[in-house]
Amino acid sequence: MSNSTNQNQVSTQYLLGTLPEVERERLDELSVTSQEFADSLSASEKDLIDSYVQGELSGSTLAQFESHYLASQIRRERVEFAAAFQVFAKKQAVFDGSSIRRQAELDRKRKGGWLSRLSVFGGQYPALQWGVAVAAVVFIAAGGFLLLQNARLRQQMSIEQAHRDELQQRELQLQKELDQQRASNTAIEQELAQVREERARMEEELKKSGQFPASGTGMLSFVLTPQLRGAGQTKSVSIPANTSRVTVQLSLEPNDYQTFAVVLLDQSSHQELWRSGKLKASSRGDNRTLNVGFSAGLLKPQVYALQVSGISANGQSEVLSDYPFKVVK
Amino acid sequence: MVSTAHKQNRSADLRERTFRRLLVWLDQGVDTNGQSYLVIRGRLLGYFDRKNCLHADELADETLNRVARRLEEEGGNIETEIPAKYCYIVARFVFMEHLRANEKEIAALDNVSRQANVMSNEDRDRKEKMLECLDHCAAKLDSSQRDLIFGYYVGEQRVKIENRRSLAQTLGITVNALSIRACRVRDKLESCVKECAGRQ
Repeated sequence: MSNSTNQNQVSTQYLLGTLPEVERERLDELSVTSQEFADSLSASEKDLIDSYVQGELSGSTLAQFESHYLASQIRRERVEFAAAFQVFAKKQAVFDGSSIRRQAELDRKRKGGWLSRLSVFGGQYPALQWGVAVAAVVFIAAGGFLLLQNARLRQQMSIEQAHRDELQQRELQLQKELDQQRASNTAIEQELAQVREERARMEEELKKSGQFPASGTGMLSFVLTPQLRGAGQTKSVSIPANTSRVTVQLSLEPNDYQTFAVVLLDQSSHQELWRSGKLKASSRGDNRTLNVGFSAGLLKPQVYALQVSGISANGQSEVLSDYPFKVVK
Repeated sequence: MVSTAHKQNRSADLRERTFRRLLVWLDQGVDTNGQSYLVIRGRLLGYFDRKNCLHADELADETLNRVARRLEEEGGNIETEIPAKYCYIVARFVFMEHLRANEKEIAALDNVSRQANVMSNEDRDRKEKMLECLDHCAAKLDSSQRDLIFGYYVGEQRVKIENRRSLAQTLGITVNALSIRACRVRDKLESCVKECAGRQ
């Protein structure tokens, strides 16, 4: 850190009243007895005030300035003057243009660059040289403005692009959800149609036999788990005489299918007795189950199996598990 | 030059002869036409102001009154390193006496400081007036002084620093010397504006 910077910092601390007592007293004395320090302090004070006026102070410095420095009427008047002076100085810089001229002059002297090569015009055509200088400043300013504008537009474009991508992603997701919903609706409709068809058939059968199920006793429900390879005892199900409909809950093995179909097979002849429509599994925690229902009239005392197949999105089906059960009456 | 009005005001406290003796002593053999007096008074004013004294100007005058009286007693000379040093010693006593007598001032000062940032219509009028006076006073500066301060104080942060460096290079002086030069011109401008705004 340079000496003058350090001195400036000490002066600023002194002005803000943050120096230790001993140091403050030393500077109190210097401020009266030393011309050099008094001048330097005065310059630091003006810079400090200007920084406050221009909003460059922050944190504890700003707090100290407002609580300590502004406590005096004389110092507040200095701040007031500085504020007016800054406004006035800016106006001078804009309308007078002397700082631009000085800067151009400085650049010419210091760098000896391209402008200095125009010195052939300097003595004889000062107006032309100033014209070139002003044009250069205007050109640089315009170039800077265009660069800034360009950067801003690019930033805006990338934001728009990100927003568009996000919308596209959302659209795809919604489309997918809609398709799934449609597929689910189709399966339900199919199952409903099948149930209706079966019910109609059953009612027809009942009409023919002249029997109607007693209210509340015509349904039998039971749960089946998949058959384990080479082991296990077939579940026996007793079907009461007045049972008209059987509903079975099939506990599924873990798989990735969303849609299923179930077939009721006669185990001895492998004949297909009944087939479900497309079904959706119900979930309870990690377990998924399928609920199927069919007419009890399809069952006699023998061994059956409910065979579950998974149906892929393209309609291909794969046998997943057999659920054998034995009917006893 | 010390103005006639100022001399008249001072006559209540110092007789003409005593005051002249003070000016001569402060000049230390070089006739500054009252500049040494104004400089030391300004520094004393700053000292008391930094000590948060409400009436810093009165305390600065009281200090110089005591120095002048002592000078009279000593026959026109006081043994000291430099006059400013002696003035500072007296100023410290004045400050301590003032502190003991005016402890209540601090509370009053707090209230004043809290009102500092409220911009009233009166403040706005004063600022307008100041801008008019700045126009008037800046016109009274010669062109080199005008270019100097508007070049020196223009811009913010790094721009300002770079500006000052360039300006010092152009003038062939150090940044430090430039700051003192700019500071003096600004003081001159500030005094002019204060006087102008007070008149209007």
